[in-house]
Amino acid sequence: MTPKQLIDELIYRSSLAMDSKDFTGFLDLCDPAFRYAITAYIPEIRKEITWLEHDKDGMKVLFDNLPRHNSDHSSLTRHVTVYTVEQDEAKQQAKTISALQVFKTTLDGGVTELFAVGKIYDTISMNGGNPKLLDRNVRLDTRMLGIGFHIPL
Amino acid sequence: MSRNEIAWKEQPKFPSTHFVDTRIYTDNQIFREEQEKIFNKCWIIGCHESELPNAFDYRTFHHPGGAQLFMIRGEDMKVRAFYNICPHRGNTLLYDPVGNAKRITCIFHAWSFSPKGECTDIPRGKEGYQERYGCKDASLREVKSEVGYGGFVWVNVDDDSCTLKEYIGDALGMMEENLSMPLEVFTYHKAIVNTNYKLWHDTNSEFYHDYMHYFNRITGMMQPGYFDRKYKGYPNGHASVGSMAIKYDAYAGSQERAVGWPGLAPGGWVLIDLFPGMTFNLRTSVLRMDTAIPLGPDKLIIEFRGLGLKSDTPEQRAERVRDHNTIWGPFGRNLHEDLLGVHGQGLAMRERSDSKWVLHGREENSTIHDEVGMRHFYAEWGKRMGRQASDPFSDNKLA
Ligand code: FES
Ligand SMILES: [Fe+2]
Repeated sequence: MTPKQLIDELIYRSSLAMDSKDFTGFLDLCDPAFRYAITAYIPEIRKEITWLEHDKDGMKVLFDNLPRHNSDHSSLTRHVTVYTVEQDEAKQQAKTISALQVFKTTLDGGVTELFAVGKIYDTISMNGGNPKLLDRNVRLDTRMLGIGFHIPL
Repeated sequence: MSRNEIAWKEQPKFPSTHFVDTRIYTDNQIFREEQEKIFNKCWIIGCHESELPNAFDYRTFHHPGGAQLFMIRGEDMKVRAFYNICPHRGNTLLYDPVGNAKRITCIFHAWSFSPKGECTDIPRGKEGYQERYGCKDASLREVKSEVGYGGFVWVNVDDDSCTLKEYIGDALGMMEENLSMPLEVFTYHKAIVNTNYKLWHDTNSEFYHDYMHYFNRITGMMQPGYFDRKYKGYPNGHASVGSMAIKYDAYAGSQERAVGWPGLAPGGWVLIDLFPGMTFNLRTSVLRMDTAIPLGPDKLIIEFRGLGLKSDTPEQRAERVRDHNTIWGPFGRNLHEDLLGVHGQGLAMRERSDSKWVLHGREENSTIHDEVGMRHFYAEWGKRMGRQASDPFSDNKLA
């Protein structure tokens, strides 16, 4: 596979893992220095906000704590399209921009509704042909998120 | 033994102050009356002054009584509030939630207004209206507004209302020191939930539901002092709950809290519920402010704000943002649980779902799991509505 194909596949696999709540599988795709954030611009107060921010250990704690919380058990389906890939040979890194749509399907009856739209900004460490997620910024256009959600996007 | 229909509807074995009839959460006529007798009479938070930092900055607001408003800072830096409606053919004047307008010009026929609400131009006015109608007849409807109690912009659509100071009384006294320096909103989001606004305010008025929050069960409820916190009721239906230290390191992933809040003990917590649907919640490093805006008996917008100090360094601010959003953001631990709770109540208590009573009967010397906060709210509600929350249609034949 070309580096571009490897990068695309990494991003798509990360969504597949999250869709199936395979959190260990997701973390396996992340570099030890991984950082994750959900951000948005809030026009009402003209400010940037970071809704969620964790390093790899923080993500693991979040995932491990999920069963202890009361949560909406609807499932999420992420639709991701990798728009651009910019490789930096010297740094052995790539920066990508992907489109993101997240759909929520209720347990009762299986109604599917759009939950959020936005873009994913990833930095990927090429890791000698075995690329890993180094930094992920899920940048949401959607700010009205209903009763919210415990699982990251 | 489970209950049959008669037993299900039997009056709970409490005084009538200690339960409510669930029709107060579902009935459309009651909701309309609440808009008239409660929301259109009370002081409501429209926004925060930090959302209008400069002259001519404006912010729109859906008032829970129904009116569409905007708040705008004049050239004199005074904030005023108006109906967001053009006196000509009823168009919305300001479409964006936020902006800056030296002159407010309606997009339809270009009537213009000053930030003081005066009509300043009617295109071809003389030609169409001759001497019969002019700018002097076409000013905007101003609504009473005051800035205070931490820099919030309060509005009251009742021209004859009491002052904000009279309305609040001593209710925010516990936070006086904490609100005495300039604050700034650093996060804002809304949620629409299919539930009644009072159920959200109830959740903000009882801590017995800490059982719902894993985080609170292990960080708060197990700690000494938790059960010492006391509710205090104030005139006009407001209530407060006293402080306690929270043991953050009991929850994996919570680091040492470094940024505190002036006048608040490390790990302290003060919560003040203001009638009919606003909550000041000050915890450790963040002030959270909720405003409940009902759209109907079973539909609610909640506006959530997180505030820090205007004087924050970027590092301090980042920590407040983290503290807020880990717990109270849309992906936070507790907010989702709280919203899941009122969402579930909205599902269970609907017209025809044959719900009957909601219990507010816990008495524990006004301490944290006592349901006196909710009882205090419904006493005021009953007074303003001229109805008893336990018998809103006087047909329950209460003992
Ligand atoms: S509706 Fe506003 S100018 Fe006509
Ligand atoms: Fe709660």
